[in-house]
Amino acid sequence: MSTALTFTTGRHTDGAVVLAATGEIDMSNADAFAAALTGARKQAAQAPIIVDLTAVEYLDSAGLAALFPHIEQVTLLASPLLAPVLTVAGLADLTTVRDAQ
Amino acid sequence: MGEGERRPAEVFAGGGDVGLDLAAVSWDETPLGAPDGWPQSLRTAVSILLSSRFPMWMAWGPDLTFFCNDAYRRDTLGEKYPWALGRPASDVWAEIWGDIGPRIATVLSSGAATWDEALLLFVERSGYREESYHTFSYSPLRDDDGALVGMLCVVSEETERIIGERRMATLRDLGSDPSAVRAEQEMLTFASAQLARNRRDLPFTLTYLFDGPDVRLAASTGFEGGPPPLPAWPVADLADSPVVPLDGDLPAGDWDEPPTQALLVPLLQQGGTPYGFIVAGLNRYRVLDEGYRGFVELAAGHLAAGITSARNYEALTELDRAKTAFFSNISHEFRTPLTLIMGPVEDLLARTPDETVRAELDVIHRNGLRLGKLVNTLLDFSRIEAGRMQAHYEPVDLPAATSDLASVFRSAVERAGLTFEVDCPPMDQPVYLDRGMWEKVILNLLSNALKFTFAGGVRIAVHPAGDRAVVTVADTGIGVAADEMPRLFERFHRIENARSRSNEGSGIGLALVKELVELHGGTIEATSAIGTGTTFTIRLPFGAEHLPADAVATAGSAVTVSDTASPYVQEALRWLPSSVDVAPTQQGGARVLVADDNADMRDYLVRLLQSAGHEVQAVADGQEALDEARRQLPDLIVSDVMMPRMDGLELVAALRGDPRTAGTPVLLLSARAGQEASIEGLEAGADDYLVKPFSSAELLARVRANVALARLRNHHARWRTALVDSLQEAFFVCDDDGAVIEINSTFTDILGYGPEGLPYAPVHPWWPDRDGDPEGYQQVNAAFAMILDKARGSYTIPVAHRDGHRLWVAAAFSRVEDPETGRRVIVGTFRDVTAEHYAVQRDSALAALSVRLSQADSQAAALDGVLSSLRGLWQATEVYAAVFTEAGPPALTTTDPRVRWENLAEPSRQAIAKLRTEPLLTPVAEQSGGAGIALEHPDGTMVLRVELAENRPFTEQDQTLLALLAGHLGQGLHRIHQIDQQRETALALQRAILGPAQLPTGFAVRYAPATRPLKVGGDWYDTVPLDDGRIGIVVGDCVGHGLQAATVMGQLRSACRALLLQNTDPAQTLTALDRFAAQLPGAMCATVFVGVLDPAGGGLAYSSAGHPPAVVIHPDGTSDLLDQGRSRPLGVPLAGERPEAHYLVPARATLLLYTDGLVERRKHPLTDGIDRVTATVQEGRAAAIEDLAAELMASMAPSGGYDDDVALLLYRHPGPLELDFPAEPGRLSPVRSALRGWLARCGIDPTTTQNILVAAGEACANAIEHGHRHTAGEQIRLRAAATADELHLTITDRGRWKTPQPAANPHRGRGLKLMRALMTEVTVTTGTAGTVVALQARIPR
Repeated sequence: MSTALTFTTGRHTDGAVVLAATGEIDMSNADAFAAALTGARKQAAQAPIIVDLTAVEYLDSAGLAALFPHIEQVTLLASPLLAPVLTVAGLADLTTVRDAQ
Repeated sequence: MGEGERRPAEVFAGGGDVGLDLAAVSWDETPLGAPDGWPQSLRTAVSILLSSRFPMWMAWGPDLTFFCNDAYRRDTLGEKYPWALGRPASDVWAEIWGDIGPRIATVLSSGAATWDEALLLFVERSGYREESYHTFSYSPLRDDDGALVGMLCVVSEETERIIGERRMATLRDLGSDPSAVRAEQEMLTFASAQLARNRRDLPFTLTYLFDGPDVRLAASTGFEGGPPPLPAWPVADLADSPVVPLDGDLPAGDWDEPPTQALLVPLLQQGGTPYGFIVAGLNRYRVLDEGYRGFVELAAGHLAAGITSARNYEALTELDRAKTAFFSNISHEFRTPLTLIMGPVEDLLARTPDETVRAELDVIHRNGLRLGKLVNTLLDFSRIEAGRMQAHYEPVDLPAATSDLASVFRSAVERAGLTFEVDCPPMDQPVYLDRGMWEKVILNLLSNALKFTFAGGVRIAVHPAGDRAVVTVADTGIGVAADEMPRLFERFHRIENARSRSNEGSGIGLALVKELVELHGGTIEATSAIGTGTTFTIRLPFGAEHLPADAVATAGSAVTVSDTASPYVQEALRWLPSSVDVAPTQQGGARVLVADDNADMRDYLVRLLQSAGHEVQAVADGQEALDEARRQLPDLIVSDVMMPRMDGLELVAALRGDPRTAGTPVLLLSARAGQEASIEGLEAGADDYLVKPFSSAELLARVRANVALARLRNHHARWRTALVDSLQEAFFVCDDDGAVIEINSTFTDILGYGPEGLPYAPVHPWWPDRDGDPEGYQQVNAAFAMILDKARGSYTIPVAHRDGHRLWVAAAFSRVEDPETGRRVIVGTFRDVTAEHYAVQRDSALAALSVRLSQADSQAAALDGVLSSLRGLWQATEVYAAVFTEAGPPALTTTDPRVRWENLAEPSRQAIAKLRTEPLLTPVAEQSGGAGIALEHPDGTMVLRVELAENRPFTEQDQTLLALLAGHLGQGLHRIHQIDQQRETALALQRAILGPAQLPTGFAVRYAPATRPLKVGGDWYDTVPLDDGRIGIVVGDCVGHGLQAATVMGQLRSACRALLLQNTDPAQTLTALDRFAAQLPGAMCATVFVGVLDPAGGGLAYSSAGHPPAVVIHPDGTSDLLDQGRSRPLGVPLAGERPEAHYLVPARATLLLYTDGLVERRKHPLTDGIDRVTATVQEGRAAAIEDLAAELMASMAPSGGYDDDVALLLYRHPGPLELDFPAEPGRLSPVRSALRGWLARCGIDPTTTQNILVAAGEACANAIEHGHRHTAGEQIRLRAAATADELHLTITDRGRWKTPQPAANPHRGRGLKLMRALMTEVTVTTGTAGTVVALQARIPR
């Protein structure tokens, strides 16, 4: 049984691919998150990818591990809740913090 | 038993007459009621009292009703018996209640025994107010419940002893006049000073002397500023020692009232009318009995003897003055007969060839010369005194004349082994001398030097010094003491006890020298130091101006030494040892020892006694005689009085002082005639006294008589022995080495050692055995050291009787110097104080036992303590306590923990078994050094057996003590047994009913019984999980303590629990509990706090039945008192419904419920305690809840422990989170969800919550991934708890983490990094059993 996590992929008006996750990301579903990121890379080709984590309530090192291979290409959107973890992981410069919608 | 008939109560059986009289008391009219209804403790006390032969009384109950035993009746109660029995003690001893009442009150209030030694009490038991002394102890008596209800007094009356000692002291002081002879008024002054010190027996005294027909007041004591005019005393009746009634304001001495009568005693003169009489004012608080009268008479006897001696002394002084004149006057009368003796003797000497006759004639000649010299000297004196000295001064070559005179003495000096130095260089001018006089000056000085010099030498020197010639005669002799120097030149003055070559001499040589030098216009002085020598210095003026012109011649005569020198030299030579001494011949007869320093006299006596068939040994002085007598005891000693080193009187005293020689008869010879001298000799202990000159027949007759009477006589020894033997106390004399050399019959009675064993050298045979009784040995050793070291003292020591039994004696000793021998001896007396000693011991033993019993909190501990104190008390080798129960072998307790009944020696087993069959509380002393007693023990019959060291007898006192102690012990054990049982049951009950088996999380509880005395009570706490997830919490307090309260508590608690499950409503629960309490005796007025807590939201509904308010401490330290919803205690009627209040326990707040034992302190308002407990929780709000509970119990406890029981319940909201889940990734989300919910209940902000979720998530992930990668499904435990400002989490797994390998698993290292970054503190502990990750986060305010 995995932790609840859903993805929606879309494109921004400026061409960037937007991968939005909803739920919690931990070691039980980090693989799914990694797969979603890989899918988004394929879809984006050379276009930037925006990973929208504002609806993610929990993210730990398993989720961060899935993000790291893609950091050349991604920017992150996250709620203040995730900000400390992302900052500790050294991803603050890639992250825009905003409240969940 | 018929109506109204009284049966003597069993309790008084065995009490003898007192028991019968006690039985006759109308007890119904006393607060104690009829004896049938008396408590066991009173019966025990009365039995012990009545069976004791030691004087005792006791008081019991609210009026302190009086009991006593036969011994007390006999010794102390007097006419108050039997009136006193059953009366309030304050009536019985009304006259001394002011003294003893406060002591008894102290005993009854404190339980501590008192001890008074020789306390002065004025009792009225013989029809008058009587001075009496008592040594006593009051010990507390307890009833069956251990309450203090009375006291036991063990007393010994010491009136006789105290008063006797006081009188003895006065008589001793009277006899202690250091100066042997005083003038009459001096003596009276001294004696009065001594009498005045005894203000109790002699409030005042008046000493009157008869002066012809008149009566003169010579001395008085007790009157300040002299006595007032007094009525005429009945002098006519003096012979009957009349008692005279007194009236008026007379001195009272130490008392508050003056004497009412006086005793007149004559001062008797031997063979004459009394010197006078003494009037002694009598102590009104003592009757004039034989002892009192005897005391006054003895004191009067001392005074009379002193007057006799003073008057004799005055007569003697007068006599002495006449002596010189007398001798001088008769001296010249001797010259003619002497001349007529000496002339023919010299003729005969020249003509007689027979050696024997010549020897006799030599003696006559020598002594004729000596007599002539003495007579001439006396004649010189009389001439000088009469101013008729015919001096003839001529110019003389002083150095030559002096050295010529000196040369005459050279052979004598050298024969004595001394050096002789003559230093007389020529002088350029002559000195005017009378040659005859000068010869006497020099010869006397040289003779004197030789006489007192035993080593070194004599030096004579002449030299000029200014206008004078100086002549010195110096010796290295014994020297003269500084205090003798002023009298050196005094006529007839002789230095006593000076060591000299001869004791012959008149004491006028130096006096004459001085007179003669002064006739020359010169001076003589002496310097001397003891042991160094003496130097005489003569200064003579040159020229003749200072001399009477008619006595001065201008031309010198031939320088020759005159005949004057011959007697001096002859005499000196006779002092020196001669080769011919005594040749003892064996002719049968008596062995006679002759001591005389004069060789001629010695030889004469030897010849005379030998001729009579005696065996004679001769020595030259008293010391030699003593040594010889000690070496071989003679039948008779014939001794001169005047001898060097030790004179005849000293010799007699020394002989009498030594038991070996005390019986040897001594015949003293002296040239000193007169009654005084002979009395002195006989007083010293001589058997006979012969004055020189005596006839040979007289001497031989006396010798014969004395030898014959040797065994029948010795008045001195008999008198002294009779006196010493009549002493009530044991008497002993030690020499200065500590050997006992004399004892009296009481000594033998007390210790068993008789005079046949004398001397007893230290270590004395009555010392306690060094190995068997090291403590006693040490005490005696210390006392012995004191005897040798101190001038006087007293001590109490244990000693062993010759038959082995042990005694205590109190001794007093004093060092005295024998005035004649100068020897130090120690004179001491002692008395048997065994009984007193054991009385003291008994009291301290009883006190110690009571303490042991009161301190012990179990029977076993009590018994252990008691056995070891019994062992110490009797120095027992072993003490056994065997309890015989109905089945099985007895339970044995001993002072040796290895001993069991099974391995106990057969004789001991038999002895114990035999004791079991004896009546209870009846001590039994065994033949073989043991004693025992049977007593009641809660489990059966207990036998207490004391096994004593060999020969240690078990005395009557010991038995009384054992019975007393056993009685106490039995009561004590019963008391402890009851307490034991109650407490054990109550504690078991309390443990069984207290404390839910499963305490919900977040709670901590405590219960403590009261500490001192340790007792359980009716406090409880409870938690009840209710069906709806809420938790019922209860803290309650039943009234009272002990088993009863604990039982009530158990039922209330169960009822409350059941009602809560049914109602889930605090007020309803309490209302129902009210009805229950009404049915349950003892439950009324219990206080209860009932709450129902929602552990999720913190909502608390509560209601209090008179219980102290619960306290809530917020995380920020503020506090709330849950003082709403209050109403009356259980079962107390109530107007309306029980109220209920609601409260929301804030997150991380601490809730405290307690019973009043935690906060209530005497003399402090309850709110103080609540404030203190609130402060303690505030300080501890950051601590874990269990730690806080421990801290609260410790810090709130009074210094002596809780005096009431305490129940306490703590809850911190919310309770900790505890999750156990399988190590599977899919479990992480629900765990997070539960943790998130708990954190919300804790009121944690979202950011901190997220940090904790991530850190905990990482820890759990690690546990799943690394700890259990090969064993999926193992359990992981997460626990989270909050304090006021911190969160503590632990994640525990059973696996072992791998050492992080960042290269292989970069993101894992990231996980740990995350934890550290997000948490205040992270610790990872990996052991064989698994890994624990502890996380700690501070909660932002």
